[in-house]
Formats: sequence, structure tokens, C-alpha cells
Amino acid sequence: MIDFLNALVLFANFVFVPGLAYGSQLALGALGITLLYSILRFANFAHGDLMAFGTMFVVLLTWWFQSLGLSLGPLPTALLALPIGVAITAVFALLTDRLVYQHYRKVKAPPIRMVMASVGVMFLMNAIVRFIIGPNDQNFFDGQRFLIKARAFKKATGLNEGLAIKASQMLTVVVAILLVAALFWFLNRTRTGKSMRAFSDNEDLALLSGISPQKVVMVTWIIAAGLATIAGTLYGLDKSFKPFTYFQLLLPMFAAAIVGGVGNPVGAILGGFVVAFSEVTVTYAYKKLFTYLAPQQWAPEGLMQLLSTDYKFAVSFIILVVVLLVRPTGLLKGKVI
Amino acid sequence: MSQTLRAIIGFAVIAVLIFLVGQNQSWNVALAILNLCLISAVMALGVNIQWGYAGLFNVGIMGFAALGGVAAVLVSQPIVTTAWSAGGGGILLSGLAVLVLVGLILLVSRRMSSGWLKSLTLVVLVIGGYIVIRSIYDPAVNAIEADNPAKSGFLGGLGLPILFSWLIGGVFAAGVAWLIGKVALGLRSDYLAIATLGISEILIAIMKNEDWLTRGVKNVTGLSRPVPYELDLQTSERFLGWVEWFYADQLAAVSGDERAQVLRALTVEGSSLFVKLCYSGLFSVVLIIVLSLCVMALASPWGRMIRAIRDNEISAAAMGKNVTRRHLQIFVLGSAVVGIAGAMLTTLDGQFTPSSYQPLRFTFLIWVMVIVGGSGNNLGAVLGAFLIWFVWIEAEPAGNWLMDVITSGLDEDSGLRKHLLDSSQHMRLLTMGLVMLLVMRFSPGGILPERTGKN
Amino acid sequence: MKKFLLASTIMAGLTGAAFADGHELKMGVILGFTGPIESLTPDMASAAELAMKETAGEVLDGKTIVSVRGDSTCTDAAAATAAAERLITSDGVVGIMGADCSGVTTAIANNVGIPNGVVMVSPSATSPALSTIEDKGFFFRTAPSDARQGQVLADILKDKGITNVAVTFTNNDYGKGLEASFKAAFEASGGKVAISAAHEDGKADYSAEVGALAAAGAEHLAVFGYVDQGGKGIIQTSLDTGAFEKFILADGMIGESLIAAIGEDLNGTIGTLPGSESAGAAKFKEVASAAGLAKNDGPFMPESYDAAALMILAMQAAGSSDRAAIQSNMMGVANAPGEKILPGELVKALGILKSGGQVDYEGASNVTFTDVGEAAGSYKELVVKGGKFETVKIR
Repeated sequence: MIDFLNALVLFANFVFVPGLAYGSQLALGALGITLLYSILRFANFAHGDLMAFGTMFVVLLTWWFQSLGLSLGPLPTALLALPIGVAITAVFALLTDRLVYQHYRKVKAPPIRMVMASVGVMFLMNAIVRFIIGPNDQNFFDGQRFLIKARAFKKATGLNEGLAIKASQMLTVVVAILLVAALFWFLNRTRTGKSMRAFSDNEDLALLSGISPQKVVMVTWIIAAGLATIAGTLYGLDKSFKPFTYFQLLLPMFAAAIVGGVGNPVGAILGGFVVAFSEVTVTYAYKKLFTYLAPQQWAPEGLMQLLSTDYKFAVSFIILVVVLLVRPTGLLKGKVI
Repeated sequence: MSQTLRAIIGFAVIAVLIFLVGQNQSWNVALAILNLCLISAVMALGVNIQWGYAGLFNVGIMGFAALGGVAAVLVSQPIVTTAWSAGGGGILLSGLAVLVLVGLILLVSRRMSSGWLKSLTLVVLVIGGYIVIRSIYDPAVNAIEADNPAKSGFLGGLGLPILFSWLIGGVFAAGVAWLIGKVALGLRSDYLAIATLGISEILIAIMKNEDWLTRGVKNVTGLSRPVPYELDLQTSERFLGWVEWFYADQLAAVSGDERAQVLRALTVEGSSLFVKLCYSGLFSVVLIIVLSLCVMALASPWGRMIRAIRDNEISAAAMGKNVTRRHLQIFVLGSAVVGIAGAMLTTLDGQFTPSSYQPLRFTFLIWVMVIVGGSGNNLGAVLGAFLIWFVWIEAEPAGNWLMDVITSGLDEDSGLRKHLLDSSQHMRLLTMGLVMLLVMRFSPGGILPERTGKN
Repeated sequence: MKKFLLASTIMAGLTGAAFADGHELKMGVILGFTGPIESLTPDMASAAELAMKETAGEVLDGKTIVSVRGDSTCTDAAAATAAAERLITSDGVVGIMGADCSGVTTAIANNVGIPNGVVMVSPSATSPALSTIEDKGFFFRTAPSDARQGQVLADILKDKGITNVAVTFTNNDYGKGLEASFKAAFEASGGKVAISAAHEDGKADYSAEVGALAAAGAEHLAVFGYVDQGGKGIIQTSLDTGAFEKFILADGMIGESLIAAIGEDLNGTIGTLPGSESAGAAKFKEVASAAGLAKNDGPFMPESYDAAALMILAMQAAGSSDRAAIQSNMMGVANAPGEKILPGELVKALGILKSGGQVDYEGASNVTFTDVGEAAGSYKELVVKGGKFETVKIR
């Protein structure tokens, strides 16, 4: 029984809790990608750098607030800076739409043109972020770090294995749930949200019924920028902020959006967790877990690791390819194919 | 302005730019730039085949270029017999096992009727096969990698002249492209972009971590060359004779010790110029071959069909053209050309470093070349490659200079000035992004737009 | 006359600024200012430039060495070669401080440096493969080869009675080379590497790596990475999840910033760092702080300072900025006999050389070149005590 509990805690500590937090962060990013995809009908390659851009402002504001002595007690100061960061990023996103993407909508360019334009925007944002904050790692977490510490947990329960839950992990999950709830309420209950869904389902029909495309596009960018900034900030709080890392997040986020079914918000969330958990579970070495669960004499020689951690980030792409092969519409049917 | 005139002016500008570099910086720098321009041009032609002819957005150029690099290693490195006897058999056996497994999976998925039994069989096959393969593969890999890890630790190659790898690189890239095309073509156009982006990253991950193949991140250095070594030239009597002949004017002006000193300096410079010229010659030959093949293909009935498919897939399909099949063909061809360029690049570098494959440099930069040059126009892609590589290389000194000028009004110790000067390296990114967006927006055809049937 | 002018212009371009007028000589600083170690390189470059600043107006009868920076990108051999080409043939640098990563360093050395007969001193390329490149005596490094460090680490663990460790290394030639040499040495002395897993730098999330490392059942974790890159993330995650509490660090991981970031949980950690006494290193910190550098203990900063200083001293010893002359004096100034020189004493050293004396440059990283021109490789065994790295003994 004790062994079983140990195994459970071990699994929670190394697989479940980190996977949950990472999955929430990916899900928020993938939601933004999927929304842009279903309304503007292109895959936004600049999304990772949009995240970096938004987070950068949050980091700068956090530092400023810290120097002013503002704080939220046990919660990170970044939460205070977040709304302003979201606002700035939204304005910036609208500006890029105005300067770059609008033209291609007007001339009814094929979606692939928009994708290419987003690649150009990605370059630009990449450079802007590095100009302003530099390429380095920035830590902007403050407040209480842990909800449960591994050592304290061991002492309290008497188990061999410790369980650690970081405040940032908890924060990530809570914020993600609130945000997703709000988003779904918005999409399903408000007039603007409904018109967005209508626009995504059938653009021509939506236009005929008097929905203003400018407004739909604007709201979509604001939401996507907001989600990106919040996801980026949560990721940065949980880990740390580094522009290059955010560029690399693009790939798992795409995988999440496609695996879940592009254009389907529920799918994006599901995809985020699928990608996050498969990265963690496939590369986890099950030796210790197995030793707890199985009889002594079965103790394995090897590590029982399916794939070495070197291929951690390849996992999301393997899933992507398998989904494209077996079920190109994604796990939940995407709306736009 | 007519197309031809534009092309002539474009290439004249390049020639002048390279000449200016030769005069003001040095001819070695100029030739080094020229060589990479030539390689980039081949790569850009590959991308142009895919994008310009058929509208396929391949964001995995990096992976195909790297495959060319792998070919360079596997063809030119001498065989490591100790490693082969340690684990070569295991590797071959596990390769065979993979083939058998794939065959079984295909058989099951084709023959068995759908249902839970089929899914279960497939799952059991995959998991069971994986465990079996790993149990053969892991010990073999460990044995190979333990064989003198500092200098070798891999199977080596075939020990053939490195020039062969240019072909083999194309074959490797074509093979992988075929697999990717089978998966992603026929789906939405963005899916190919995302799939290629992902797969190119996986390819690099494999090259970084499978040490038995190409030494992974330990890199393979000192690849053999198709051209002479500078140091050999510097001691060769015949080459000295050439230098004396070529620089006769300069040498006549000096004498004695001074003459010896000048001669030595000229020999050093001359040797590295000579080596670069040899490379330029080889690369030019490849570029001319690929370019003329491209031009001929585009003008042929096949080329017209491809463009018809690009411009209207539905009507082309209605005319009985197999769109997905043509796309696959184009995708494989374009990738093969990129693979050839990748092998050429690794040959020029003289080493294979998997971690040097970064998407910004190997995927997006090439894209900027094609877009700026003129997608769909072969000569345009070549021109774009020359121009953009030149900008990419000279953006660094130019960025430094620009930042210096901008900040010259600021105080020497001002924090802002320091910050801006430190950031001047990011000018490259900014320039590339801006160039790409501006050209796409205001001159979507690029410098040399595609020729349509009429003119 | 015209022909003569032509010939001498060519000469000037080739042999550095030997014929150039003015009071400035150029030295190339080629580091990866963009790319995966872009956060380390600005400090390394300013450390190298510190040596040039220190000797301003004192070299070769009143000349000043100025730095010309070039971007190695750390990974792109083509770009690095192009930058080096420009520095050597166009700017006419007298020598090159760099490059940083082993891959591009080899490329520059093979393709540009050696063929043109230019001295290169790398502060941070530690791949064992570089010991055996055919460098004709033009390639030096102030960082020792990792072949030696792996042995030293294995010896330390053996002495402490640690027989089972998990190893994680940064996934590049440095990490992998060190891991291979450590594994071989450790297993030869009867130890067992329970698991050896790479980590990519700049990922920020290392829970999967730490999970796998912890599952192997070893109590100690050896981290061969970079102090403000993945290595720090691995240690942070290990402590956060309670996976490991005892760490073994290689040179890239040693830095006060690690302790500042992690805190007292790091106490008891063992580490190795090239060098034999802290006098030079301490002196370097003083000098760096006094000169107002942003950092004074970043990875490879001492080695960068030493690399530049050695070339300056060799130039003075040669009495000329001719590239070949610099090369032939490198060994002389780096090794005994002669008066020991620490950071901040470069002007004094120049004076000694000017008056015909000899120096033995110790510098910030205690440089002594082996016969293949790389730092000999004595290491400090360190332990973290009370929030500080303390030297236990020299190996």
C-alpha cells in the first residue's frame, strides 16, 4: 500500500503536476492560434514571438512596479502588470493587422500569403524584442514560490517520495481555467462572440447577415493577443523569460492546435494537454515507478524509458504527423479544413 | 522596364557590389561572399521550384540542407572498421527489423477489416516491435559510441571523393521529401508548412543525438576537399611559379629580402584566393546545370501543367490532372535541389555541425531570397539569393556602423548608447523581416516577376 | 612608385597593421554575439577588451590595441568563417581572440586562420578534438581540453566514495565531449553512471529531463552545462521537485550567479574549475569591477581576458605586429621562465618585455600552455560552503 502511494506521488510529482501546468500554458497559446485560424484563416507563425512581445512588456512593467515598491503580497507582482501588458500587446497586434495583414484580406490573397507575411512579422518582432530587452534570460517571479515543498511533504506524510507544487503552477492552472471559462462564455453568450462563431462557420453568410468583419477581426486580434500575453507571462513566471524559448514554443503550440482540430477552441485545449502530457510521459523513465509497483524480483535492469529526453520536443511533431496521417481533422473535428 | 534589362541591371549591381568589397575589404572576403551566393542560389532554386512553380510552402528547408550535410559525411569519411565490427551488425539488423515492422503494420492496416481487433493488433505490433528493435539497437549504438569517442565513435562513411555526396545529398533529401509529401500533401496548404517545420526539427534532433551516424553534436571536422589545401599550395613550387607570374608587376618593384617578404605574403593570399576560385568554379557548374534544367522544365508542357495546377487546382483536376501526384513530384524535386546545395555547403565548410542548422538562417533566409528575387522566375531566385546573401553578410558591419552614427549624438558612457550598440547584432533580423514584408506588400512579384505566357 | 605603393598596400592588408600608420592596431574578437550563447558573449568580449584597454598606448612604442568584433553565431560555420575572413583580410587584425564554440572555432581555424597564418586564441572551445587539429602552431586556447576535466571529476568522486551518479550535459560538443571523457574515467575507476541524459539550452522547462534523471535511482547529479542556461534550470527543477539535493558541477556551471539564483540549497555541491590558485582570478574580479564591467565572474571571462592579454604580450615580445612573429612568441610569454604576471599587471609586463626581460603570464585563469598550445589543465576542486564557492584543493 505504501509502495502504491509512493508510486502515485512519484507520478504526480514528475508527470502530472508539471504536465498540467505546461499543458495549460500550451493550451492558452494554441487557443490564440486556433482563433486566428478560424477567423482570419491563416496559421500565425508570429504567435510565439507575439507571446514574447507581450511578456516583455509585463516583465518591464513588473520591474518598474517592483522599483516603486508595489506588490501583491504572496502573489507575483507580474499579475498587476498583466492587464497593461495585454493592452499594449493588443494595440500592437491591431497595428500589425492594419499594416500587414489587412492588405492581403482586401486583395483576397490565398491564405498561404498570409502565412508568409506572418513569417515576416515574426522576424520583425523577434528583432524588436531583442532590441528592447535583449536576448537574455530574465527572471521576474516574486512572491511565495511554493504551495507544497517536496521536503515538507515527505516529512508530513512519511513517504519516500516528495511532492512539490509551485505557486506558479497553481496560478497557471487557475488562471487558465478562469480564462477559458470567460472565453467560452464570450463566444457562446455575447453578441460579438456569436458573430465571431458565425463568421468562422461561414464568412459569406455572416457578411450577408450584417456582421461587421472589421469588428470581428479586431476582437479576434485583441483576444489572441491577450491570450498570448497571459500564456507567455504564466510560462515566464513558471520557468523564465527568454525570447528564443518563446520562438521555440511555436511548434508545440501548432501541434496542439492541429491535434485538437484546427478552429475548434475545445480542441485547442485538449491538444495542449495531449502534447504536454505526451512530452512528459513518453520521455519519463519508469524504472522507479515500476520498482514501487511490481514485486521485488521483477525490478528492471534498464531505465524503462520509451524515448530519450533528447527527443522530447520531437514528440509533439510525431503526434502531429500521426494525426495528419490518421485523422487530419484532429481529435475533435476542426471547423475549418 | 523589360525583364531582360532588369535582370542585366540586377546582376550588374551584384557584380559591382562584390567588386567593391574586393577593392575595399579584400578579394578573399569578396570570393567568400560569392561562393556562398552561389550555394544560396542553388538552394533558392530548389525553393523556387516548390513555391514559384507549384505554390508549396516548405518551411523545412533547414532539414533538407542538413540531409545534404549528412551525405557529405557519409560519403567522404573513411570507414571505421572497429566501430563496424563492434556494432555495425546490430545497426543493420535493427534497420531490417524496422522495415519488417513497417511491412507488418501496412499489411495489417490494409488487410484486416476495421474494428477493435485491428486497432489492438496495431497497438501490440507497434509496442512489441518497438521493444524488440530497441533491444537490438541500444547495445549496438552503445558499442559504436564507446569506440574512441573523442575522435571517432561513429561508423564512418564510404571513403569516396566528397563530390559524390552532392548527388547523394540530393537523393537523401528526395527520399525524405517523398515521405513528408505522402503525409502532408493533399491536406490544407498550411499543413505542409507546419509539417515541414516540424519534421525539419526532428531531422536535426536525430542528427544531434544519433552519434553513431554522424557523431552528433561532437561534429565531424576535417572533411576531405575536392580542391587543394592552402598550405600545400604555399609549399608547392608550381604554385609559387604562378604567383610570381601573376604578380610579376608588384614583385618587380621590390628586391632582396623585401621581395621575399612580399612574395611570401602574396603566396599566402594567393593560395586562399586560388582555393576559393576552385570552389567558385565547381559551384558555378552546379548552378548552371540546375538553372538550365529549371528553365527548360518550366518552359516544357510539364511546366505549363504545373503552373496551371498552381493557378487553379480545381480546374486542373477537372482536366484530369492528378494534382496531388504532381505536387509530390515537385516537392521531391525541389527538396533534392536543396539537398544538393546542403552537401555543397558542408563541403565548403569542411565540417558537419548539426547544431549550426537554425531555422532563421537555413529556412527563412532562403525564403526571403526567393520572394525578393521573384517567385516563379528562376533567374529571379538566383538574383535574390545573390542580393540577400550579400545583405545578410554585410548587415553586420553596416548595422554596427549605423548604430554608431545614430548614437553618436549621445554621451560616450550613456546607458542607451551602450544598449543600442550591443543590440546592433539584431539588425540582421530586423532587415530581413522588413525586406520580406515590404517586397511582399509593394512588389509581390519580386525584382524579376514571373513571366506569363504572353510576353 | 605606383607599383611599390601597390605592393605595400597588399603587404599592409596581409601582415596586419605592420605598415599601417597611426597608433592603433586591430585585434579580432570573434564570439557568438547572436545565437545560443549570446547571453555569455558580451561579457567575454568586454573581458577581452579590458586587456586591450589596460594596455592602451603602451604596446610597441605607444600603440593601442583596438578590438574589432565579429559574430561567430556560435553555430553557423559559414557566417563565422565569413566574419573571420573579413577581420583577417580586410581589417587586417593582428590576431584573433576566439572563437567561442568548438564547432565554429574549428571551422575558422581550418578555413581562415591557419591558411592565413593568424594566431587564434580561443577562450572557451574545450572540445578534446581541438587538441589534434593540424594547426601548424597557430591555434591556442586558454581553456583546457575536457579530456582532462572528466578525469579530474572522476578522481574527486572516487575520493569521496561516490559510486553511482546521474549525468546531464548540455547538448553540444562541450557537454557531450566532457560527458564521454567523464564516463570513461568514472567507469574505469569502478563507478557507475546510472543515466546520462542531454539537455538543450534555452528551453526553460526541464521537468521531463529531471524526471528521467531522478528515475534512475542515483543520489548525485552531475551537471555539465552552462551557468545561466539549461544547467541552472536543471538544478532549479531538481530542487523544486525534490529529485536531487546533491550536485556535481563542471566548469561551465561555476559562477556566483548560480548561488545567487538557487540559494542555500546548493551548499555541499562539488565542482571543478580550471586554474590552480585563486590569486589571479580574484585579481581579475578586482580589475573587472574597477573597470566597471557589468559582470566580473561570468563563465570564460577570465579566459577571454587572458587570451587577449597573451597576444598583446607576444606582440611586445616579438617587437612587431607581424602575425608570424606573434605566433612564435606565444609560448614564451605564457610559460616559465620569467616574472609571473597577474591581471592588471599587463603594463608592467610590457615594460619588462620592452627592456628585454621575460614574463610568465599567469593571468586570471593561471595559463600554462602544453606543447600543443592549450592550457595545461590543473583544476580547482570546489565546494559550496555558506553560499560561496571555496577551493578545497588543486588537482
